Amino acid sequence: MEVALFWIFAALMLGFGAAVIFLKSPVSSALSLVVSFLGLAALFLLLDAFFIGIIQVLVYAGAVMVLFLFIIMLLDLKTERARKLNIPALIGGLMVVVGFIALLVKLLPDFHIAKPALARPVNDVASVGMLLFSDYNLPFQIIGVLLLVATVGVVLLSRKELK
Amino acid sequence: MIVPYALEISVVCVGIFLLMVDAFLKTDKTTIAWTGVVVLLAIFGMTFFLSPMPVGAIPSSFYVLDPAALFFKRFLLLATVLTLILSIDYSPVYLKFVPSAAPQAGLGEFFTLPIFACAGMMWMVSANDFIMIFVALELVTISFYVLVASMRKNQGSLEAGVKYLILGALSTGFLVYGITWIYGITGFTALDGISSVLPRVPEQYQPSVLFGLGLVLVALGFKVAAVPFQFWVPDVYQGAPTPVTAYLSVASKAAGFVVLLRVLDPFLSVAAFQGKVFGILTILAAVTLILGNLAAMSQQNLKRLLAYSSIAHAGYLLVAVASLSAPGAKVAIGFYLGGYLVMTFLAFLVLLNVAKVSGGDDIRDFNGLGKRSPVLALGLLIAMLSLAGLPFTIGFLGKFFIFEAALASGQYVLVVLGAITVACGFYYYLKVVMAMYWQPAAPSATNIQVSPFGHFLIGLLVLAIILFGIFPQPLLGALTHL
Repeated sequence: MEVALFWIFAALMLGFGAAVIFLKSPVSSALSLVVSFLGLAALFLLLDAFFIGIIQVLVYAGAVMVLFLFIIMLLDLKTERARKLNIPALIGGLMVVVGFIALLVKLLPDFHIAKPALARPVNDVASVGMLLFSDYNLPFQIIGVLLLVATVGVVLLSRKELK
Repeated sequence: MIVPYALEISVVCVGIFLLMVDAFLKTDKTTIAWTGVVVLLAIFGMTFFLSPMPVGAIPSSFYVLDPAALFFKRFLLLATVLTLILSIDYSPVYLKFVPSAAPQAGLGEFFTLPIFACAGMMWMVSANDFIMIFVALELVTISFYVLVASMRKNQGSLEAGVKYLILGALSTGFLVYGITWIYGITGFTALDGISSVLPRVPEQYQPSVLFGLGLVLVALGFKVAAVPFQFWVPDVYQGAPTPVTAYLSVASKAAGFVVLLRVLDPFLSVAAFQGKVFGILTILAAVTLILGNLAAMSQQNLKRLLAYSSIAHAGYLLVAVASLSAPGAKVAIGFYLGGYLVMTFLAFLVLLNVAKVSGGDDIRDFNGLGKRSPVLALGLLIAMLSLAGLPFTIGFLGKFFIFEAALASGQYVLVVLGAITVACGFYYYLKVVMAMYWQPAAPSATNIQVSPFGHFLIGLLVLAIILFGIFPQPLLGALTHL
């Protein structure tokens, strides 16, 4: 059952992920991205990572994507025109992808997951919060600075006329 | 006694304070930058009251303060100070390309974002855990994305911003994916934990660990501008505001190399991985040396030439990384980066002043600079000779120590290759010198006035290049425990 669900959701995620790239209209791309995120969230749930799964739905599929859609509609983006294929770039890209997949195929049968560093699974808000504010406090603070920089940057880059 | 975190916390506080000043006070915006310069210099002074601490003495497992971390924190603070000074010089050009309703709008952010990037890089050089490395690296790159693209009415800057953002995001993806492989096999994100587990990894899982490390190397190769991950460098360096280019090529590269050394450390101490990792590094160093130097030879734009030269210098540094089995290699890297800081900032300082007047940064804009502005020409001459590696400059000694380490660890191929590419280097650096002293100036070219402070700064940097080139002991003394 679990394996079947894994394949269904993985296929869903990858299929719609590809659709994000190949569809020409920005709105369809954004909607495909929502479905792709939902598939990813389902995969997290299958791995017993409930917290991340739910956050994935709430934050990415919910908040972020709604923002994306709003922006696309507000900017009234036109459908992308067909681009000419750049053959050397295509061949180069394919070589990297094929090489990457070949490596993965060769390595994955031998892959073995070690005992994780965290003693017990962290699945609920309380224990995630505890970890963030105790052991992982320093990186968490740095993310705070990162968000500040991102906010300043967005204002600098997007405001029509700076004051 | 100062708490070790105090350095980064003070830098972040300075940044926030200056943002507030920018938002609420109607002062001249260059005051913000000068305040930043003074306070960062004070923090630089503060570092001398700190001494390196053993791992157990710091209450966080993410943060180390070893001699290398402390040295590079000082290095980064100085680089940020120089960037801010360059930014003040550059502000008239910057303002031309920013859509603004008020005079000097956008300048406050242009001065404060490097300070946050500095804090990020200071965290990077102390990071002892992949999570910390990742978070600090993102803080730095996001600041740089914004800085590179910030001249919004300039197409080059926008193009650079988009390219840097897309390729940077790709490299971040590689980094995270590589970390998950290493974490999957070893069960640790902390480098100490990884090094304790690595000797016991069974042989059949070793390729997986190497795969993870390879992906991490891709991301770090992107940061330090190593071939074949250098595609972004020429366009981004050329399009970005000049002070940001200098900052990117010095500070970001140095922080990348420190992280590279830290990440490689556990892998290089295990015999099973050592040979393969050194093999990868040797290949990286060789292609970076060849491509960086050859591509630089045909450049007609000085900013682009310096971009390729930055790739070439990453090549020399990678030679030292590939020779880490020799005892002097880490000192050589520290010394080389120290020299690279001084000569790169000197070159960009002159470039900025010339480009401000002549409006372009092609090499032919430097024609006749020897007559038009002897001080600037002399500064650029010294910078170019040192970048090329002429004896009695800091650049020569940097290369000398690196080749010495390479010989000690038996990397003869890299030494021969390095010697050949140094000769290529002389060709393209001297091309600039030739333009300055032997080409007649264009009739429209005017003399270039430099402020007294500009003269002072050029003098200081020239002095550092020659002084440390003849008498390197003080700098080497600061590096002895690396």
